[in-house]
Amino acid sequence: MPPIVEVEGVTYTYPNAEEPALRGVTLTVDEGEFILLTGPSGCGKTTLCRCLNGLIPHFYSGEMEGEVRVLGLSTREHPPSELARYVGLIFQNPDNQIFSLTVEKEVAFGLENLGVERGEMRRRVDWALEVVGLSHLRHRLTNELSGGEKQRLAIASILAMRPRVIVLDEPTSFLDPKAAEHLFEILDLLNREYGMTIILIEHRVDLAVRYVDRVVVMDGGLVIVDAPPREAFTSPKTRAVGVAVPRVLELSERLMRRGIPLKRLPLTPQELLEELQGRLRGDGGWSGGEVKVEGAEPIIEVIDVSYTYPNGVKALDGINLRINRGEFVAIMGENGAGKTTLVKHFIGLLKPTEGRVLVDGIDTSQVTVASLARKVGLVFQNPDDQLFAESVEEEIAFALRNFGYSEDVVAKRVDWALHLLDIERYRDSSPFTLSGGERKRVALASVLAWDPEVVVLDEPTIGQDYAQKERLRHFLMQLRSQGKTTIIVTHDVEFVAECEPRVILMAEGRILADGPARRVLSDVEALEKASITPPEMVRVLRKLSPYGVPCDILDVEEAAKVIAGRFRG
Amino acid sequence: MSLFEGLRFSGGDTPIHRLDPRAKFVLTASIFTAAVLYFHLLPLLIIFLIQLPIVAAAKVWRGWLRTLRGGLYIAVLILVTNLISFYFYKGRVFTLEMVEYSLSMTLRFIVLVASFSLFFLTTSPDRLSLALEKLHIPYEFTFAFITAIRFVPVLAEEAQSIIDAQRARGLELERGGLLRRVRNYIPILLPLIVNSIRRSLELAEAMESRAFGAVRERTNLYELEMGGLDYVILMLSIALMAIAIYIRVFHPNLGAFFPSV
Repeated sequence: MPPIVEVEGVTYTYPNAEEPALRGVTLTVDEGEFILLTGPSGCGKTTLCRCLNGLIPHFYSGEMEGEVRVLGLSTREHPPSELARYVGLIFQNPDNQIFSLTVEKEVAFGLENLGVERGEMRRRVDWALEVVGLSHLRHRLTNELSGGEKQRLAIASILAMRPRVIVLDEPTSFLDPKAAEHLFEILDLLNREYGMTIILIEHRVDLAVRYVDRVVVMDGGLVIVDAPPREAFTSPKTRAVGVAVPRVLELSERLMRRGIPLKRLPLTPQELLEELQGRLRGDGGWSGGEVKVEGAEPIIEVIDVSYTYPNGVKALDGINLRINRGEFVAIMGENGAGKTTLVKHFIGLLKPTEGRVLVDGIDTSQVTVASLARKVGLVFQNPDDQLFAESVEEEIAFALRNFGYSEDVVAKRVDWALHLLDIERYRDSSPFTLSGGERKRVALASVLAWDPEVVVLDEPTIGQDYAQKERLRHFLMQLRSQGKTTIIVTHDVEFVAECEPRVILMAEGRILADGPARRVLSDVEALEKASITPPEMVRVLRKLSPYGVPCDILDVEEAAKVIAGRFRG
Repeated sequence: MSLFEGLRFSGGDTPIHRLDPRAKFVLTASIFTAAVLYFHLLPLLIIFLIQLPIVAAAKVWRGWLRTLRGGLYIAVLILVTNLISFYFYKGRVFTLEMVEYSLSMTLRFIVLVASFSLFFLTTSPDRLSLALEKLHIPYEFTFAFITAIRFVPVLAEEAQSIIDAQRARGLELERGGLLRRVRNYIPILLPLIVNSIRRSLELAEAMESRAFGAVRERTNLYELEMGGLDYVILMLSIALMAIAIYIRVFHPNLGAFFPSV
């Protein structure tokens, strides 16, 4: 059988771009494969996706060399509207791919465009909704769906067109962990039950590796590794470009280094359990080190706070919370749990319907947002919601001028912030010309510039690749060591597990758990209630818990040490 | 803003919702015509009351009343302007006729708003677009219409995030003189525009991937066929319009408290 997708020596340069985005990419995909496509931001993954359904060269002009064939059809000769029958493309932002007002109408959109007859259309719409588990919401307005439901709707809409290949470009970026896991299960079903070929770009490798047959790593517009997961993730080439590696693999390598022989390197908690079964001692005690108590001087106090939005939705329900000076806190919970609503209270953007919020002893309902903003710097999730100035320098100076600093202080502060975030070379660039990761750093610099006592980051890891997350983590550690109070709002479990802050777990406007990361993130019951999945290390240790291995370890090295200590051969 | 909020379709499935948009459009048009024809309180009141059972059957009291409440300021404005202009026009005197006429003008406005609201609250834009297609309006036009409605809440949410983000950077919208205040909105409008451009590009990509424009003859998931109730409503609407015109032409003063106006 000929391959279902053939990419032969494709080089492509976007119009007005100096450098090609793809430099001779060759890739073949057989029918029924499930492929993970990964690589750092800007490596050409998204561009390659656009080649697969003819967006390049039909929608994007620019120069394309080489050949792409899908089911033997050349993408040069067949436009995307025709290839849509064979290749479905699903994008990162669920909102920007939904056109209709109701769910079933959205699923029908592609079929209507193809002129499918009504009876057949009805059957396919019903089937697609059934597969993604949205049948019960068929008459719902699309605006009322959650992020996860929207993304499942996007999949159903593509499914209804019965493509042979589905290409997904970071589909889980905006989803919380539970929704992401659900999405993976659907993809797995499509692959196994319906034999669909799936090409997935994804940063959540821990999850993805459970399902995929093959991993393709790209860098600088080239495919540098193309192999089964085990080989791909252990390849030195993969390690050199800096992409995320499954944590279980990392753990296994550390176990090997500690002298524990493993026949094949496990990639998932289940595989690791199978390797170690019967080879661990089930005795001896180990107690986790206590997390040190931070300074006890409160900077933010939330007292019996409830908040109801004007439309009647109660977003916070009796919140009591005290954050001390110098603490590092992660507020976690699924989308809609009230995390962002809570932090908006810290800066007075929202005033409590009931109760009080004190910032540095001042009641937020008594003062303006601008005066609170000097103490509490809030960096929003999407940098594009705030960048507007002609240059990065002006962007950073904006807040400083609002606060009435003199021009020479402004100049000094701008220099300091540019240096802090390592973006000096972009000083005169327009923020709009920068990449996503760089824009995020400009937004961060524009808030840190006035050196607020408290820094709050809303979903700082969304859309960030492995290297960018690492850089962010180091930066947060640096803030922490300087004694700055740092609060992150996130549903990125693995990121929090690596930072080990104090974790506040929220669900339905209430606080479910509050304590050191290792305690909260290993409290599986609380996590379940908050619809957060446990971090990969906790999953591994839970598998090994019959041997008396403690479950509250988040650090890979520490886990390796504990497991090695129980090894008996 | 609540005036517009009341015009937004928010789901629902009653016989009124299921009516053919074309029949409902004729109903709205007949109420509209009747309201414009009359200057007197009693007939306008009747036209207003005719809508109540329909609102009840459609179970859209909340949205409907919200629209009316939203229109209240304008209604009061119409009343006051009318009264004042009459007062001076007629030589600084108040008469009951003037009061009735002013009240009628106000009620006419309310009737118009109410009938519009009833139409939009009970007509899903999806079905409305289908009706437009049936009337041979080009699909590109109806598609743009639907997409616009679809993105109103998305844009509203985005505007709120932008306002929050800039306020967190010390922007005070209410500060300064008039010129300064206008300038204050630049940091809000620019990201909104840039995001919209970016979004439209993404939307265009997604449209291509969904075979937009693949065949000339599009099909539609829904079928629009006039049923029994549709014909009944259509007949009643035409009858209402005919009666309204008949009375207005042949008995212009019927129902007027003060025929002299």
